[in-house]
Amino acid sequence: MKNTFLACVSLSLVCLAGCATKPPAPVVESAIVGQVPADPPKNPVISAEALKADSKSIAVTDIYFKKEGKNLTFIEETRVTTDNSVTSTITPKTIEIDADKANASALTGGANSSAFPVKFTDLSDPKATSPGTAVPPVPVVDTTTPSNSSSSASTQSLKKSGYQSNNEYGELRYLANPIRGLLIKSGYKVVQAKSTPAIPNQGDEYFDIVKRIKAGDFGDADYVLYGVLAEISSTNNVSDIPGTKSTSQQVTFEVTVDFNIIDTKTTQIIASFVASGEGKDVQIDGRDTGNKPSTAKLMKLAALDLAEDVRKHLADQNFITNNPGSAGQVRNLKRRLDDDASTLKVYK
Amino acid sequence: MNTKTIRLSAIALSVAALTACSGPQVRYGDSKAVETVNADYGSTDLQMIAEAMTRSLLQSKAISGSKDAPIVTLADVKNKTSEYIDTRVITDKIRTQLMKSGQVRFAVSISEMQNQTEELKRQNQSGLYKNSTIAKTGNMQGAQYRIEGSIASIVKNTKDVKDVYYVFNLNLINNESGLLEWADEKEIRKTATR
Repeated sequence: MKNTFLACVSLSLVCLAGCATKPPAPVVESAIVGQVPADPPKNPVISAEALKADSKSIAVTDIYFKKEGKNLTFIEETRVTTDNSVTSTITPKTIEIDADKANASALTGGANSSAFPVKFTDLSDPKATSPGTAVPPVPVVDTTTPSNSSSSASTQSLKKSGYQSNNEYGELRYLANPIRGLLIKSGYKVVQAKSTPAIPNQGDEYFDIVKRIKAGDFGDADYVLYGVLAEISSTNNVSDIPGTKSTSQQVTFEVTVDFNIIDTKTTQIIASFVASGEGKDVQIDGRDTGNKPSTAKLMKLAALDLAEDVRKHLADQNFITNNPGSAGQVRNLKRRLDDDASTLKVYK
Repeated sequence: MNTKTIRLSAIALSVAALTACSGPQVRYGDSKAVETVNADYGSTDLQMIAEAMTRSLLQSKAISGSKDAPIVTLADVKNKTSEYIDTRVITDKIRTQLMKSGQVRFAVSISEMQNQTEELKRQNQSGLYKNSTIAKTGNMQGAQYRIEGSIASIVKNTKDVKDVYYVFNLNLINNESGLLEWADEKEIRKTATR
């Protein structure tokens, strides 16, 4: 009986020991449950192959602008002819105003009509003027008014009005740096672009980016991000704050820029969008206190806001990933570099 | 025996008289107890309205179906009755109960804007505060919804009976779309007889 009991105990111990040393069941490879072909990348710029290669370089130009102005000219010449001599008195007036104001004035007789109570025509356009006339100050007979011709003297009044276009080209040097910063954070190498001073009688070929690429203005950059200023405006509005006795003074500086990214090798446009930035200063009762906001601060805020809008558009068009510089972006970038682009792994 | 009885009675009377002259008795009552002193608007009406409206509002699709607690503002309730009612108490009570639910966040209402703008002005424009700690102008959050309400009554009197009917309406309006997202009412009838 005792022996039987001992035998049972030892058998149990052997069984327990056997269980304890039993090797673990093989782990099923459940991490990767399937491999399916990946969709081709929507934008080749950030494909895995591109990222595996050296970082792409991009040149970011300063923001180009074209300021269109017009010189309005009004000339009145009074010529008195006598038997022996001709006396001429010329009274020219010229002011430079924005093109849109000149156009509005010409169409409606608007703001500048008091200074120049005439319709303006393009003086450089021969069809708009009488034959034989060119640019001012050469007066042209618009209305010839022979006046009192007592004795042998006669008076002639000559009037001429018109405009000459005056376009100014250049670069805004203080808006692009935050954009360069975000591209650096996104993993691009940013190359300094050569500045392009406007030449005398500069035309719209100033914006010919392909010509500049071929001229080597951007070194060996793979891409060029260039922006052309569409509009820049500043507003100063005061409004009541409902429910209070206070007012709100809002001084706003807004900038809108038309952007394109060009592949320097193929001249293909990789991304294209319009971005805007706003710098705003809000002062409660600012009108009463005579507040004058800092334009430097507004400019900085507008530049940062513009860069943020650029970031959104570049992410939308797959040129950069969202949240540049974040830990998640670094992780994604590493994963994309490590993974084989030809397969998509599905993790449980 | 008679003399003794008279003396004891006199002492008892004196004690009773002294007790009576010592001032009004004060006692705490149940704030939730039903108040029926008269048929005028009272604390029980306030509690019934606030509780019914809060419960209904929290069950509305706009609030319960929202992923994040929506931001709302609460306008003062319009008093369309003939009696004086401090409607601010109604809105405050509803707001407190909604806040306690955690399903709604409140932005300052128009009646609180004066204090809000003064505080922002003090912090931003006095030049006294450390820049990194300033509550900056331009970062107030706009409300997605606003809550508006009104209370109206119909009162009828006879020689012995006074009948009062109250109806309290509350609306939830989407500020962006202008759509009425939720509306409910609470009716109360009170009759006082002599």
